[in-house]
Amino acid sequence: MIGDGAILWYLNRATGLVSLLLMTGTIVLGVLVQRQARIPGLPRFGVVGLHRNVSLVSAVLLVVHVVSAVVDGYVSIGWLDTLVPFVSGYDAFWVGLGTLAIDLTALVVLTSLLRGRLPVRAWRAVHWTSYALWPLAFAHGLGTGTDLGSGWALAGALGCGVVVAVASGVAIAGRITARPVLDRAPAALAAATTALAAGRPAAASRNR
Amino acid sequence: MNAPPVTRGLLGIGDPSLAAHLAAHGPLPTVPDLADAVGGLTGRGGAGFPTARKLRAVTDAARAARTRAVVVGNGGEGEPASAKDATLLARSPHLVLDGLQLAARAVGADTVVLAAGEAVLPGLERALYERGDGGRVRLVALADRFLAGEETALVSAVDGGLPLPRAKTPPVWQRGMQGRPTLVQNVETLARLALLARGEAGEDHTLVTRHTAVVDVAEVPVGARLGDVLPLHAGVQAVLVGGYHGSWLPATMAADVGLDRTGLASVGASLGAGVLAALPGDRCGVRETASVVGYLAAQSAGQCGPCLNGLPRIAAALDLLARPGPPRRGLLEDVERWAGLVVGRGACSHPDGSVRLVTSTLRVFAGELAAHAAGWCTAAPSAPPFLPVPAPTAVAR
Repeated sequence: MIGDGAILWYLNRATGLVSLLLMTGTIVLGVLVQRQARIPGLPRFGVVGLHRNVSLVSAVLLVVHVVSAVVDGYVSIGWLDTLVPFVSGYDAFWVGLGTLAIDLTALVVLTSLLRGRLPVRAWRAVHWTSYALWPLAFAHGLGTGTDLGSGWALAGALGCGVVVAVASGVAIAGRITARPVLDRAPAALAAATTALAAGRPAAASRNR
Repeated sequence: MNAPPVTRGLLGIGDPSLAAHLAAHGPLPTVPDLADAVGGLTGRGGAGFPTARKLRAVTDAARAARTRAVVVGNGGEGEPASAKDATLLARSPHLVLDGLQLAARAVGADTVVLAAGEAVLPGLERALYERGDGGRVRLVALADRFLAGEETALVSAVDGGLPLPRAKTPPVWQRGMQGRPTLVQNVETLARLALLARGEAGEDHTLVTRHTAVVDVAEVPVGARLGDVLPLHAGVQAVLVGGYHGSWLPATMAADVGLDRTGLASVGASLGAGVLAALPGDRCGVRETASVVGYLAAQSAGQCGPCLNGLPRIAAALDLLARPGPPRRGLLEDVERWAGLVVGRGACSHPDGSVRLVTSTLRVFAGELAAHAAGWCTAAPSAPPFLPVPAPTAVAR
């Protein structure tokens, strides 16, 4: 039988591990959205919806993760520690990184829910901080986690790290090589003219 | 020209000096309530929005936001076939500047901008110097782009950004230049304000750019019969009404159309930027339109997916359909399908206006398209292009 405290502990570890997976998925889907890519069988707005829903599920798991850590009496993490980083009585530095990640997550989720009411630039500026969010959460997991020390969990976490690094690289490379806005339409016209003259369908042009 | 139109009024006698302006129109009187005085005047930039409503909206928005409004005179005539704004600014700059002064006073603006193409700016500088209010009106040079005069693109350019359309919410009358309530008025509308303020007839005429054997700008009565203001010689196949966002009408139908909102709407057209072009018998309407649509596609701001992906395909297909010889099967149907896919899906009306021209071409020149499919074309091989299209700018692939 698992005792009361043990349930909280298992819950905390499980939500932490699954959040890492979902946050990795969120980043990959976010890059797909930014690159205007498709997932086979899914329209483009479906990719956007998936990005949003996976991120919301991971946010819900994070709430469970935080609440279970505070409620669990075995470690001295208080309610204040869920908002203010680096003041925890238990493992102040590594827990503090997690708190920072939680604060950023709350900010990113909140601004995204209010996206229609915010200036696009403000939303985008906040959304950029999600690039810092994942490494913070990852370091928090490595530093304070009891499962990422070795074995398949560590291998999985490092795999997530590689996936996020590759996805971020693709996003940044895409931004660097993006065509200047005033050149897009003439380039699209040249491409469409060549394709249609050859009897082929024209390829899609990106508006970013 | 079978019926000489009125040439006094807005276009003056060809002397742009302040002395000639004052001799013809007298000093600018003070108008207590401009929105009331302008009556039913509508904007002459293409959209035809009631000027009085715009004046009141900007005044109220500035009051609500507790800030000073901005007035921007729009001389950004991006339409290659239109010359009315440039002609007006060159011939009667003081009427436009009077209009700016009236509008600024009416909405309580402390910043006044006049944006226009590079070519007319020296004349405007001279006019401002004559009036002694050089410091009160800021002149802004606009890029030579089709969308440069689009309201939000204009505000972006005046603010120092790229001349590209922005989202329409919040509208510029609420948050425009520097985030302040901004009154954007076409320069012809401003000149008409100056006439109305003096009690002269202002709203019953409009400027048009006429393309026949020659190109000229004329002031014609609103509601006139099209055939009376545009000489339709024998052989004219069709008339382009409204410019490159406008529509083709068969010559027989065009002649009796009344040049006002309801008359033109009854045949699915609108006066737009005031362009009237009578296609001569020895040119090919499809060929002419294909080259215009190629220009329009390249002038897309490249910001909205349906426009960036739709117009180039339509332009490329139309270019193939403009050549004599059997086209690929289904190409015409593709154009019709793509045209339906872009309407109402841009931040500005560029896709809508461009496909309006395309669909009217497919309708009016259906016979020409059939001739092309059979290997024939109406145009004489040596005939130069009729509709003006600027040379494309080179782009690195």
